[in-house]
Amino acid sequence: MIIQALAFYLFALTAIAAGVMVISARNPVHSVLFLILAFFNSAGLFVLIGAEFIAMILVIVYVGAVAVLFLFVVMMLDINFSELREGFLQYLPIGALVGIILAAELILIFGSWVISPEAAQSIAAPSAAPSELTNTHALGRLIYTQYVYLFQAAGLVLLIAMIGAIVLTLRTRPSVRRQRIAEQVSRPVEDVIEVKDVPTGSGI
Amino acid sequence: MNLAADISIAWPEIFVAVTAMLLLIFGVFQGNQSARLISWLTVGVMFIAAVLVLSSHSGRTVAFNDLFVVDAFANFAKVLLLLGAALTLILAMPFNAREGIPQFEFPVLVLFAVLGMMMMVSANDLISLYLGIELQSLSLYVLAAIRRDALRSAEAGLKYFVLGALSSGILLYGMSLVYGFAGSTGFDNLAAVFAAGDHDGAPIGVIVGLVFIIAGLAFKVSAVPFHMWTPDVYEGAPTPITAFFAVAPKIAAMALFVRVMLEPFGDLFEQWQQVIWFISLASMTLGAFAAINQTNIKRLMAYSSIGHMGFVLVGLAAGNETGAQGVLLYLTVYLFMNVGTFACILAMRRQGRMVEDIDQLAGLSRTSPKMALALAIFMFSMAGIPPLAGFFGKYYVFLAAIQAELYTLAVVGLLASVVSAFYYLRIVKLMYFDEPLDAFDQPVGKEISTIVIGTSAVTALFILVLWPVLGSAAIAAATLFAV
Amino acid sequence: MFTATIFLPLIGAIIAGFVGSRLGNRFAQLVTVLPMLASAILACVILYTVGFEGQGETVHLFTWIDVGTLEISWALRFDTLTAVMVFVVTVVSAMVHVYSIGYMSHDPHIPRFMAYLSLFTFFMLALVTADNFVQMFFGWEGVGLCSYLLIGFWFEKPTANAAAIKAFVVNRVGDFGFLLGILGVFFAFGSLDFDTVFAAVPGVADQSFNFLGADVHMLTTVCLLLFIGAMGKSAQIGLHTWLPDAMEGPTPVSALIHAATMVTAGVFMVVRLSPMFEFAPVALTVIVFVGGTTAFFAATIGLTQWDIKRVIAYSTCSQLGYMFFAVGVGAYPAAIFHLMTHAFFKALLFLGSGSVIHGMHDEQDMRRMGGLFPKMKVTGTLMWIGSLALAGVPVLAGFWSKDIILESAFAAHTGMGLYAFWAGIAAALMTAFYSWRLLFLTFHGKTRADNHTFEGVHESPPIMIAPLLVLALGAIFSGYLAKEFFVGDGMEAFWGTSILMLHNVIEDAHHAPKWVAQLPTVMAAIGIAGAWLMYMLRPSWPGKLAALIRPVYQFVFSKWYFDELYDMMFIRPSFYLGRGLWKSGDGAVIDGVGPDGIAAATRDIAGRAGRMQSGYLYHYAFAMLIGIVLFASWFLFGFFQ
Repeated sequence: MIIQALAFYLFALTAIAAGVMVISARNPVHSVLFLILAFFNSAGLFVLIGAEFIAMILVIVYVGAVAVLFLFVVMMLDINFSELREGFLQYLPIGALVGIILAAELILIFGSWVISPEAAQSIAAPSAAPSELTNTHALGRLIYTQYVYLFQAAGLVLLIAMIGAIVLTLRTRPSVRRQRIAEQVSRPVEDVIEVKDVPTGSGI
Repeated sequence: MNLAADISIAWPEIFVAVTAMLLLIFGVFQGNQSARLISWLTVGVMFIAAVLVLSSHSGRTVAFNDLFVVDAFANFAKVLLLLGAALTLILAMPFNAREGIPQFEFPVLVLFAVLGMMMMVSANDLISLYLGIELQSLSLYVLAAIRRDALRSAEAGLKYFVLGALSSGILLYGMSLVYGFAGSTGFDNLAAVFAAGDHDGAPIGVIVGLVFIIAGLAFKVSAVPFHMWTPDVYEGAPTPITAFFAVAPKIAAMALFVRVMLEPFGDLFEQWQQVIWFISLASMTLGAFAAINQTNIKRLMAYSSIGHMGFVLVGLAAGNETGAQGVLLYLTVYLFMNVGTFACILAMRRQGRMVEDIDQLAGLSRTSPKMALALAIFMFSMAGIPPLAGFFGKYYVFLAAIQAELYTLAVVGLLASVVSAFYYLRIVKLMYFDEPLDAFDQPVGKEISTIVIGTSAVTALFILVLWPVLGSAAIAAATLFAV
Repeated sequence: MFTATIFLPLIGAIIAGFVGSRLGNRFAQLVTVLPMLASAILACVILYTVGFEGQGETVHLFTWIDVGTLEISWALRFDTLTAVMVFVVTVVSAMVHVYSIGYMSHDPHIPRFMAYLSLFTFFMLALVTADNFVQMFFGWEGVGLCSYLLIGFWFEKPTANAAAIKAFVVNRVGDFGFLLGILGVFFAFGSLDFDTVFAAVPGVADQSFNFLGADVHMLTTVCLLLFIGAMGKSAQIGLHTWLPDAMEGPTPVSALIHAATMVTAGVFMVVRLSPMFEFAPVALTVIVFVGGTTAFFAATIGLTQWDIKRVIAYSTCSQLGYMFFAVGVGAYPAAIFHLMTHAFFKALLFLGSGSVIHGMHDEQDMRRMGGLFPKMKVTGTLMWIGSLALAGVPVLAGFWSKDIILESAFAAHTGMGLYAFWAGIAAALMTAFYSWRLLFLTFHGKTRADNHTFEGVHESPPIMIAPLLVLALGAIFSGYLAKEFFVGDGMEAFWGTSILMLHNVIEDAHHAPKWVAQLPTVMAAIGIAGAWLMYMLRPSWPGKLAALIRPVYQFVFSKWYFDELYDMMFIRPSFYLGRGLWKSGDGAVIDGVGPDGIAAATRDIAGRAGRMQSGYLYHYAFAMLIGIVLFASWFLFGFFQ
């Protein structure tokens, strides 16, 4: 148990520290790298509570896809971050004030946190004991039965995201010359090459 | 609890979802030249869906493990938002063809947004609520930015997206706080938990969570202080999209707002009433004052809709059955007034270019008297002048406020409507008393003129349909309190 | 017959006013003059039947106001007093109407003028036939309105507009008193009907009411308030300033309104209300004082004026003073007698001077006249007759009426009566003097007009001379013919119940010492002789005299500085106050806080609200966060308290 506790604090503190670094690092690439670190630690936390499926998904999806995509975007876009930061600093005092107030309030809230006595009865879908099923199995059962509505809805949301991405970015530019290999290959020679008989000494 | 039963309950939504995907596939194969056909098909789908909604079982039924609810309230709201969406889509068609929005995805996205809205008003769980909102919002983000080459449209989409994401985050945070206390996200469970709790008030954590949820929802109805996106997005988005934004999502979000406040959190009424009270008051006031200096009619309509949402929230702040009834009545009225006004705005074209300046309306009564008359009807109605439709909306929400002894709110509301009358009547004054400019392009098109005539007739003669609407609104409102 | 007499002028006025301009000048003149003449003839018949046959009656037309205990009917009360007034008003008015045809022949607004004249006549008749206070007030205000319209008839002239406004405003002061008096009557008697009130007067004669802690005699207060109204209308000292300025109006207007009829309305009113005034001796004393003072004071001013019409205007003022102190000493019939004779000769004088002005092409300054008699023999003769009558030269009308007034004042045997008597005697001297000053300066001696004007002087057309002749007949014979009935032995039978005299002072007047009766005539003779001396024999003397007593002359010439005094006391302070209230009160406070302020604040808030909309994304996001923090804090503080 001590090791578990130690691991928890290690992961948790690292995740928080990484989170702070994400917003405070000067170099945006470093920010993204810290984000990846935060994701890894979060995955560790999930593993600690036995949610290994989510942990792996986090690593694969967030680290493997999202964060790497972020990296590419940050590297490809030429954004002057120091300029952005100036605006940020300008609002830092009032922003800090609001942040501190909000944080203080949340601390107060969690300090007096209670759980409703009725909460236990209302837990909607008690899953099967972890010993009987694998994590993945249990999730699958819930998602495709009890929460099929939400699952489908989430699917639709993703579909919209996809449509949106296409609508907003896909362009057919008639003026852009593209290489059309099939056309190139299938062209007869006579369409392409013309043989001229050039008399000697007269030029064209 | 078998799937077939669930599907039969959620049949309108499923129908919309399936046809939306079919239309998408159809569009992908047919290309952009099929946009008009798809638009009309979409309108047809919406009308069929409305018929399906109307023909559904009138009592309260739940489906999908209590995630989804169908009752009279949801049906009322669905019919309204389907109608609003269909009308605005019809308005959009000539505009799109003319102004270069060729994408066939446009109607499909509208349809998906409508699906999201239907899911919102039928949500019976915080998660389904959230997914409905996201489905709707994502579609709207894309729609706002659909003229991707126009800087303002892109800016509008981006702003809407970022702030919408922020509001989603806020909403989710609030939900997690509530879940942490109640151990459930289902509305029925939440209601049971709060009903069982002692009535001195729920723990502060839950209330703060509730505040976050209210903030997230207030963003969707663009209530002060979560309204800031509205003027920019309204101005930047293409005009038919603005019309759509102004009507259907507002109706859906407001219906959702009312359901969330009254059903799961009904027992926390004393706590959330203060927040709603403040939001309502601030929205009415800001909507009235900020609109005065606007020169762009779309921005003006943005502030106008902020103000209207403030008035609607008066009904919610009252927290009684009259209030909920007033909300539905107001939304109905709001639908016709806004669709009609935006139809007029869409007719503001000169030499093929859209004009959006209020001053361009000068002397409209002489260049096109019919349009001026219609617009005057809408403006008078929005100002709340009897016997036009807007008056009844305001009357019933204020009646509810008086019943709930919210006198301050009622008084401020009345004052705000006086101030707002200033800018509504200024438009009337411009049209009727100022020197005319060049006439707008004629003809305005079949679609626009039909909708203008229809909506202005409804607005002017609303008193004829007042009692049926009021009756069904009463039935719808009663279902919220039956639980 | 009664009704027709009253309403004929109204019909004429309506037709001329509404369709006259379309149907032409001639039509407008006919449609007003003919009903007026008819009305005058009817009035003569009425005078006969009512005055001599005693067939007075009250014609009830309809109930006007019926609220609670206040019931007011529209009724025409015809007793002898009314009959006399109706006779005077319609006859003079008819003459003026006829005269106007000639006098106004070159004016571009003839229908309007004729309509106003007839409308005025109607209101005047409504006033004199009133059966109750409200109806009288209706006529009272109506004549005031018409007076305003007619003084300002030449609305292009700024002086005429100013004079019209002045007349209206000064009259409002009086009218306010009158209105208060009416309210007082209702308060005291609970009715506004003459008969009811008069019957109740003896019962309340001793009542008083508490005002600001002091006990005030009720009837005296009411009577004084009513008298203030009379002072305004009849241009008594203090409220007289509008009358000379009113001469800016066309001359026929001056003759009709500001000599013969409207200005005598005050006298009529007090006489009509004699059953009330008789029980308020203090009020009567005040009236005597005011009347006597006015008679003297106006006459002094008349001595110095150069404008031909202003001289006659001050003369009118002075003669009205006579009437008032006659009323004050209780000699009501004498007052009405003088009212009638004065109407004739003063109208004659005005119309005559109008004829002169007409002949001189709108010249009114006597310093540029003189020697006109050869060119205007008829007018000159008629003016002589009028002046003789005015001065009280025996046998002519003024002689009889002025005599009886002065005798009554003497016979009243009160201190105030004696004061009025001597003031009247002095005024009689001055009247004769300024009348002949006017005649000599205008008609005799060498002309001071420039050649061109003098060449153009001509006699007036017959249409203007004819009415003068009628009035001249009145000026000569009306006194002699009427004295028996008005103030002689037939008096009681003639007046019947229309006038109440507790003590018959006229009877005493007949027994006054001989010198009292002869003194006015002597004074008139001295005055005429003095004028002849100063203006015919030694034309340089007036200037020297004026230089000799320069301060006195200045004082009198400047009309006792009344206008300046009022300007300083009322007009400037009210302008100052008005401007102050307008700028600081209305402008800064009411508008500033009220409409303008709210509007400005609204715009200001609108501007602020607009500026909040900066367009920056992080501002918007921040606003949302602040909103959430505020709400959360709200609950947290609420929760932990």
